[in-house]
Amino acid sequence: MNNTLSENILEVNSLNKRYKNIHAVKDISFSLEQGDVFAFLGPNGAGKTTTLRMLLDIIKPDSGNIQWNVNGNAGSVPPSENIGYLPEERGLYIDVPIIKSLLYMAAIRGMDPAIAKKAAMEWLEKFELADRAKEKLQVLSKGNQQKIQFIASIIHKPAFAILDEPFSGLDPINQEKFIEYIRDLNLQGTTILLSAHQMPLVEKIAKKVFLINQGQKIFCGKLSDLYKDFDKQQVLNISFNSNVNEDRLKLLPEVENINWVNPQEVKITFKSGVNLNNALSELIKIDSINNISSHNPDLHDIFLNLVKNHKL
Amino acid sequence: MKYLKQVLTVTLWEYRRFFKPKNELLGIAVMIVVFFLVYFIGKYAASAEEEKTSLTISETLDVKLTSLLSQEFELNKIYENQKDNYIKQISNNQEDVLLWNDNAGFVLYSYKKPQAFKKLNKILNKYNQTRAMEEIKLSQENLQHVLKPVSIAEKYFEETSGRKVLVYFFAGLMILAVVLSFAYQFTAITGEKQLKITEQIVSAIKPQVWMDGKILGITLTGLSSLITYSIISILGGLLFFQFTDVPLKYIFQVLHAPSIIIFLMFALMSVLMWNSLLAAIASVITDPNNSGKSSLMLLPVLFVVITLVISPQNKLAVFLSWFPLTSATAMPMRWVVGNVDLWQLAGSFILLTATFYLLRKLAAKVFRVSILMSGKEPTWGEIIKLAKEA
Repeated sequence: MNNTLSENILEVNSLNKRYKNIHAVKDISFSLEQGDVFAFLGPNGAGKTTTLRMLLDIIKPDSGNIQWNVNGNAGSVPPSENIGYLPEERGLYIDVPIIKSLLYMAAIRGMDPAIAKKAAMEWLEKFELADRAKEKLQVLSKGNQQKIQFIASIIHKPAFAILDEPFSGLDPINQEKFIEYIRDLNLQGTTILLSAHQMPLVEKIAKKVFLINQGQKIFCGKLSDLYKDFDKQQVLNISFNSNVNEDRLKLLPEVENINWVNPQEVKITFKSGVNLNNALSELIKIDSINNISSHNPDLHDIFLNLVKNHKL
Repeated sequence: MKYLKQVLTVTLWEYRRFFKPKNELLGIAVMIVVFFLVYFIGKYAASAEEEKTSLTISETLDVKLTSLLSQEFELNKIYENQKDNYIKQISNNQEDVLLWNDNAGFVLYSYKKPQAFKKLNKILNKYNQTRAMEEIKLSQENLQHVLKPVSIAEKYFEETSGRKVLVYFFAGLMILAVVLSFAYQFTAITGEKQLKITEQIVSAIKPQVWMDGKILGITLTGLSSLITYSIISILGGLLFFQFTDVPLKYIFQVLHAPSIIIFLMFALMSVLMWNSLLAAIASVITDPNNSGKSSLMLLPVLFVVITLVISPQNKLAVFLSWFPLTSATAMPMRWVVGNVDLWQLAGSFILLTATFYLLRKLAAKVFRVSILMSGKEPTWGEIIKLAKEA
């Protein structure tokens, strides 16, 4: 046990949290090793933010245990100078020059002012915002404000960074850039725990995932293992000639899950090992097919399947 | 050590956010302009009053009264046969004022009560008094002898009047500091909640550290404004004494070192305590425009009113001198009057300090609870329940 603890930067055991009649987090456990990029995934209201707040000691769990072991500092409360946090609810001082806000955020994390200034300017250069360092945050676009918020959360080169929805509000180009920055951060030694909804982006950087639904774990492990679990499943993208009745599709015994792209187009996940020929001949009976394509399930498909089939 | 460093960081941040020397100087400039405007308007009004107003009297009015009236009024004289016509014209010429003396006494005819009525009344009283003295043959010297007030030689072991001035001076400063802090504290906390900065901050520092830093920073801001205004007032005062030839020793007589130390201690602790209370109230307000709890921020008004009406001799003052919300002004006032033992002074101060300590703890707990209720303002019941759990 001690051996495991020394390798893990964070270990969570049997965490529970209730709000009145809602059991927001139910007995969840997971651990992160030094250098992990760990994706915490779940639909809205699944208990992600509550879990993250408990990890940061912003709220207390009803029961369970959180054990941090960051740079030799072990304990249930994270050492603030080694932790970075990008909350889902964004906010910085809009009426203060950007550089001052960043230096304040670095100072409360215990960073030396001179080193903080150098780091802030380096990050602003990276985001092509160095020439706007003395401007107030309120004059920046929403996307650029998001970049400043990101810098504020990792300026002190934390050993562990929690990023809650880091891609929201960004255009596709900046989403790709953020992936690069997160990857760089990880390569420099920061362990990353991120919560996001953009599955194609998460797939690009996450090594491990934790899927949570209605406060409960539905999967925890390596992303490669998750794919392995689903690699025998086939996903067909089928475009019909007219609108199709969902009930008729559901009657097919080979179908595991149905996701509608539009009223005429549907993404069907089939159960492992089924004979697709039988399934296709049944589908043609429902309506004539315009187009059909096949692929292995991606994280988006797996996420939807797991959440939809999750039994409480 | 880490706690102190973090509190200092937050304190300086809050201080620099709110204390803007440029704005302070602008405020002082506006104050000076207003002062000069008031001064010149007052001077103009006084000079306007010095101009003699016109008064019409009877040609046959007593010479002595005429002489007295002529010192303050521009006199016009009319004959008795002109009187009725003159009175009829008053409605047309509304500035005309006629003073007539018949056997029953004086009659004043005017369109409305004249502004110089008080002045006229004073002269007529003086004239009547002189006439009465002449009738009973009482000399001026004898009258002054009768009216001479009793002489009391005041010889006290301890002079308190100067210290009373100090008490009121410090009470005034405290009121100013609390009122200034009120505005800053409200903006500092509700503003940050609305900007959603709180969650990122409390992931780095404990709510108690943040709250302590805020309370100290805002207190420092209020005190800085106070010092600025005090320096300006003292310089203005010195300038005033320079022009009025009042000796500066009157000011130095008021300065009593032990009193100043006691008042400063109470004043500082009181401002910290009030800032903690205001911080706790501001913490439960999510939207200042729509929250019913905003009215609680008017609590300092109670402090101001009590401070203004309190009488140190009153029995209620004993209670108020121990009650932490009012002790900072009530206890020094009682102490100056001289009916307070040292243990009472110390006890009241300890109670005030303990209240500050507990209120800052409460403020941090309430703050921790309320930031997590994003979008929804917690009810009092929820706050009490969650604060107990926190």
